[in-house]
Amino acid sequence: MPRQGQSVESCILTEWKVQSGDTVAEGDVLAVIETDKASFDLESTASGTVLELFWEADDDVPVLANVLVIGEEGENIDEFRPADSGGTSAPEPVAASTSDTNIPAVETTAQPQETIAPSVGSVSAPSAGISPRARKKAMHAGVDAEILVGTGPGGRVIERDVDAFLSGSPRLSAAARVRAQDGLEAPKYGSGIAGMALASDMREPGAIDGADVTPVKGIRKLIADKMMQSLQGTAQLTLHSSFDATACQQYRKKRLADGESKVSINDLVAKAILSALKLHPEMNAHFLGDRLAVFHEVNLGIAVDSPRGLMVPVVEGASTMSLEMLSAEIKKKAIACRDGTIQPDDLSGGTFTLTNLGMLGVENFTPVLNPPEIAILGVGGISVKPKRQEDGEISFVDQISLSLTIDHQAIDGAPAARFLQTFVNHLETHPGENPQTIEGEE
Amino acid sequence: MKYDFAVIGAGPAGYVAAKKAASAGLKVVMVEKKKLGGVCLNEGCVPSKTLLQAAKTYHHAKHGSIFGVEAGSLSFDFGKAHAHKNSVMDRMRDGIAGLMKKHKVEVIEGEATLVKGGFSVNGETHEAENILLCTGSSPTIPPIPGIEAEHIVDSTGILNNETLPENLVIVGGGVIGCEFACVYASVGVPVTVLEAMPEICPNLDSEISAILRKELEKKGVTFVLGAKVESFEGKSVRYNLEGESKDMDADLVLIATGRRPNVSDLGLEDIGLDFDPRGGVKVDQRGATNLPGVWAAGDVTGQAWLAHAASRMAEVVVHNITGQKDIMRHDTMPAVVYTSPEVAVVGLTKEEATERGFKVKTGKIPMAINARYIAENPGEEGMCKVVLDADTNRLLGVHMVGGACSEMIFGATAMLETELREEEIAEIVFPHPTTSEIMKDVFMAVR
Repeated sequence: MPRQGQSVESCILTEWKVQSGDTVAEGDVLAVIETDKASFDLESTASGTVLELFWEADDDVPVLANVLVIGEEGENIDEFRPADSGGTSAPEPVAASTSDTNIPAVETTAQPQETIAPSVGSVSAPSAGISPRARKKAMHAGVDAEILVGTGPGGRVIERDVDAFLSGSPRLSAAARVRAQDGLEAPKYGSGIAGMALASDMREPGAIDGADVTPVKGIRKLIADKMMQSLQGTAQLTLHSSFDATACQQYRKKRLADGESKVSINDLVAKAILSALKLHPEMNAHFLGDRLAVFHEVNLGIAVDSPRGLMVPVVEGASTMSLEMLSAEIKKKAIACRDGTIQPDDLSGGTFTLTNLGMLGVENFTPVLNPPEIAILGVGGISVKPKRQEDGEISFVDQISLSLTIDHQAIDGAPAARFLQTFVNHLETHPGENPQTIEGEE
Repeated sequence: MKYDFAVIGAGPAGYVAAKKAASAGLKVVMVEKKKLGGVCLNEGCVPSKTLLQAAKTYHHAKHGSIFGVEAGSLSFDFGKAHAHKNSVMDRMRDGIAGLMKKHKVEVIEGEATLVKGGFSVNGETHEAENILLCTGSSPTIPPIPGIEAEHIVDSTGILNNETLPENLVIVGGGVIGCEFACVYASVGVPVTVLEAMPEICPNLDSEISAILRKELEKKGVTFVLGAKVESFEGKSVRYNLEGESKDMDADLVLIATGRRPNVSDLGLEDIGLDFDPRGGVKVDQRGATNLPGVWAAGDVTGQAWLAHAASRMAEVVVHNITGQKDIMRHDTMPAVVYTSPEVAVVGLTKEEATERGFKVKTGKIPMAINARYIAENPGEEGMCKVVLDADTNRLLGVHMVGGACSEMIFGATAMLETELREEEIAEIVFPHPTTSEIMKDVFMAVR
């Protein structure tokens, strides 16, 4: 398991792409692995036959541990076996001991019958017992009461458990049974005679009618966990504002006329964040529950829409970068995310995040914090809005909407609003310039 | 009046639904404008099968010498055959009437039109929570010049023809055309079938159609394939064959070019009912139309054109109305041509299965390998063909021609409904000696 950055001690092996006996070449994808930030393909560093996989999908594998052996058939592989792998030799199954009364259900290894009655995943501990009524009903229906999951007191099998089993185990046609052996599941009500499940009714476990169902894993799972953690673990407050884009547009035009490199509005926005943070360093912080870490340097996170999902690469040491450098760095990181070549270390350590949905026509949105960061700035699209000029005349200008989400645990609304003011002022007066030339509004 | 369930049409969909709904405790009314029993009992299945049996009896008597049976002077009294037909129909109609009475279904004679939330009949409007539209179908009459002539009849008209014509020309070699060709040819009437397609019964497996055609030819039927009828003039029929116009004389002409759903004069457009492109009432798998509380079953939907399909569709509707899950499965609907020999099929043909994406394997054997078959049907060709999914060995279709194979097709239907595979079917015991053994032996020929 390759080391995925300095801080990573283990990776989840999400999915095997090979199995024992496969022939692989150098560079072939062996497995998909993920850190707490992103998922990656694990490529083969050797050619040969896969002799053994030491881990199962979803195992947490320590970095630098052997994940599999590639060699020639017949070779002894024992010396490569990592000490702590679950491996293909499954852990000792927990025996349903008759003396232990507190284990209500024990996962069993899959048995052939299980595919026919997919609702039965576990057995009840014998000690929990079965009510006489349930036993009679089970016997009458020809159901082995021992395989029923008890929901009565202490896991006791009661009548409703027998009913649930009977209604939940659809009759399968002969052809459907073949599909069941392939791991497919029958719906509760099939389209065949008297609700019999037909081969065409068989579907992946967990399927939902009228929907494509895929397991939540890999980067989607990471994002899901992170977003939930963010919304449940922080006190988010979003401030809405906007800025007149005229100065930015003029600045970009001027650069082009002067033969300078092209920069985007987003680059100018990033630069403005850095400028504003110079004056409001309290926004460049991590809230750690009992401590608040205000950083000296800005590591600017940029939200990127990649084919694998949302990724937030970090431009390290952004505060000291020129506009050109910043622009180039943002571009490089975004491309690496889209190509899947981003390094895990580049996906952590941010102190402030910028997210932009303007190019997708979004006018305004409430960004979700990337904890422990305490602020994230969302940029919307350009819309034409009336503005009263200094001479009192109303004219129409291009406005870009802003939404700043802060963690109210760490900072209050007013200082955040002042940060926004500085930020807007920078973009409306000195876009692209370094912070030292800005006059503070205070 | 206010009813729980109103049934418009008393055919095999209507009376089955009415009885079933009434048994489930619903207050049911059934409206019929003609006679109880619908097309099936009055203009289709039942009378035609009675006449087919008359023809078969005559044929057996005439050709009994192989069994040592010599009938001496043989005659055929078509009037008597009709009398028997009529008595069968009367008896069946009485049976339906009795059944309705027993189940307390109110039967109204009259022409119903649908209105919002109910129906009108004989000047009165009634409310009904659910309405089943099952008004059946009528023969199509193609716009051929001269078709109005008196000696030109449709399948309803020919059932009332009680005299044997000098000769019979049948326009259309489908199921209906073939059945009447068999009736008339079996009793010695020269029959010519003009079929526009390259083979008769084009919906069947082509090998099955070819065997049926040859067997009917042995009975004296002449088939002209690829013939398009152009006009009727006096007793002459003019048709086009390979670009050439030909004439032939016809004492009686049967138009058997298909059927169309009975959807007019029912107020269906007024209530906003949707139709499918074929002109039938559009229904989903449950028989539900686009209007809540309005259901349809049978020929009026333009699907299947089979009495047993209509009954099943009606049953599905009643199940859905009474809260029982059920859907229509057309793929396992058996179909029969009641000629001698009979054709009985269920499931997919090889072509249909391939089109659905199955990897197909087939097996076929002649009926002549079966002891019972050759004992009872000397000299008659027959065949049994099965279509299987090569991936799972699941049976997808059974196609038979020969003897009375209609009586055993239900076995194949049961196999299809339960998606049995070759392996399971091999464990089914077929009594010996029966023709049904062919359905077991055919799997030996699967490859």
